[in-house]
Amino acid sequence: MKKGIKKRAAALILIMTCIVAACSGCKKSEEEKELNLYTWDGMFPQEVLDGFEDETGIKIYYSNFDYDEDMLAKLEETKGGDYDLVIADDYIIELAIKEGLVQKLDKTKISNFSNINSLYQGQFYDETDEYTVPYGAGIPLIVYDPAVVGFEITGYADLWDASLKDSVAIIGNYRVIDGIALKTMEESFNTEDLSVIEAAGEKLKELAPNIRVINDNNTQDFIISGEVSAAFLYTSQVNQALAARPDLKVAYPKEGLGFGIMAAFVPSMAPNADEAHQFLEYILRPEVSAKCFEYIGYYCTNKAAEEYISEELKDVLVVPESVTEGEIIQNISEEAEELHSKIWNEFKAECD
Amino acid sequence: MTMKKRKNKSIYLMLVPIYAFTIIFVLFPILYMILLSFLSKAEVWGVVKEVTLDNYKKITEPLYIKTFLDSIKLAAISTGFVVLLGYPFGYFMAKLSKKWKRRMMELIMVPFWTSGLMRLYGWIIVFRSNGTLDQILMGLHITKSPLKLLYSYEAVVVGMIYALMPFMVLSVYSSAEKMDWTLVEAARDLGATKFKAFITITLKQTMPGLLSGVILTFVPSMGMFFVADLLGGNKIVLVGSVIQEQLTKGRNLPFAAAMSVVLMLLTTMLISLYKRVTGSGEMEGLV
Repeated sequence: MKKGIKKRAAALILIMTCIVAACSGCKKSEEEKELNLYTWDGMFPQEVLDGFEDETGIKIYYSNFDYDEDMLAKLEETKGGDYDLVIADDYIIELAIKEGLVQKLDKTKISNFSNINSLYQGQFYDETDEYTVPYGAGIPLIVYDPAVVGFEITGYADLWDASLKDSVAIIGNYRVIDGIALKTMEESFNTEDLSVIEAAGEKLKELAPNIRVINDNNTQDFIISGEVSAAFLYTSQVNQALAARPDLKVAYPKEGLGFGIMAAFVPSMAPNADEAHQFLEYILRPEVSAKCFEYIGYYCTNKAAEEYISEELKDVLVVPESVTEGEIIQNISEEAEELHSKIWNEFKAECD
Repeated sequence: MTMKKRKNKSIYLMLVPIYAFTIIFVLFPILYMILLSFLSKAEVWGVVKEVTLDNYKKITEPLYIKTFLDSIKLAAISTGFVVLLGYPFGYFMAKLSKKWKRRMMELIMVPFWTSGLMRLYGWIIVFRSNGTLDQILMGLHITKSPLKLLYSYEAVVVGMIYALMPFMVLSVYSSAEKMDWTLVEAARDLGATKFKAFITITLKQTMPGLLSGVILTFVPSMGMFFVADLLGGNKIVLVGSVIQEQLTKGRNLPFAAAMSVVLMLLTTMLISLYKRVTGSGEMEGLV
């Protein structure tokens, strides 16, 4: 009996030592440098990540989030620590900066900063370009199958057409979708006039019979498979849809484009801020940058990289002239934001 | 005497981990949620310590009342079908031979070896246009062109029934198995018709199983928003989806908490109703 206990105790001690040994093993040695990257899944080609690791000897730890809000929650939790470089959407960066979770960039360490296309600088979330490096821009667009849709789609308003009954897929971002209703009424995406937003809600309800599916992820699949004949998609999804089905057509809505920028920033308490700057310097190199944009399928925000983008992708990755007129969706008053969320839910309820 | 006392003591000691677990992982989170539901939303993220009833007031807006009603409606429809399909299944399963009982049980459990989400994706393959069902129907010349089956209310109901049916089957089965069949024989001997014997004896005796099955399907179906999202194409707004959206995109934790509290109260009411009807505190079947 006693022997049994002894044996078990010995085994337990052995296991504990193993755990302790394993833990001390995983603690990094002093000289090993690392970079904790935090962004959506699939934001960098493996080639670029490997290239950086080989060149600098800095190990990249890539963790991802699904929604910008998750990222902000995480940063709030860690008080701006744990992560060294974050890439997220414009509006959330404005909030992160407001919360003091972002540190100013040391531009002396980023000589490639001048490669950035100035079109994407001085934006509302970082008016003086002190905190962020833009990394891709997007414009939600309409993609449709001309063989099934009997007319040419030129604007958002065409999605309301009765012939598209139960045939439209849309992304699930309520500011964008409420926004297109606003655009058909010739209003701004960012209006804070509650009665106007209310009216947009009514207008949106009329769209309900045409909606077949609302989905934020892989929305392009619905048009590729033929489940729907028209879809309102994010830029990367537009590019994927076109790559899979070249017979599909893209419409740049005449009412005006919505426009979003993704950007990189260094959190206020980033443990490896130096390495983060090194990484920014690396991805701003024209050749590297071109590879990134070819991979993620968003508009190239690096002017110097444009000439490195392969000919066949230039059309979809280099911004057309018209885009400069796009309007960015910004943070609006709390009442307006809440009303948006409400009309969106009313719209969804109308859809089933 | 002393022996017995010691035994009791050790039993209580063994309960400590369970109580500790329940207090830490069930009671505290619930209290935290209730507390959260009375606070106000911070401008950017999180909450500020301003006590308010606004979150509950907001639930009384027509939109959210409708969301609750819609959720209850979907739950009721799904539960209705689950009763119609699951009750006979569980009932007849209890009448099988021991060997077949075991086999049936295995068949019911096998799907649980794969993730529930994965199984729902299976339904997408069946329902999508030019999917399995469409091809069968068109192959049999019943329909000419693909039907739009996926992303409809019906598809969601099918998904709900599929996901929840085992709970009903198992709880009806376990109460039908315990049933005293000699009572049915006695009733028949005394001249009751088959139907009458079923109503007065069988149904009465299996009632606890049926009702616990109803609870086990109705309560979860109120919150199973992912079924509505996947098979309904995100178009059906359920309480669960509003809570999820308020937690993420809406960044309104207190409101999400208030919705959860109301949802919890509703389900508690259901369970106490169950207790009142069956006169027992225990749930038949899985619980």
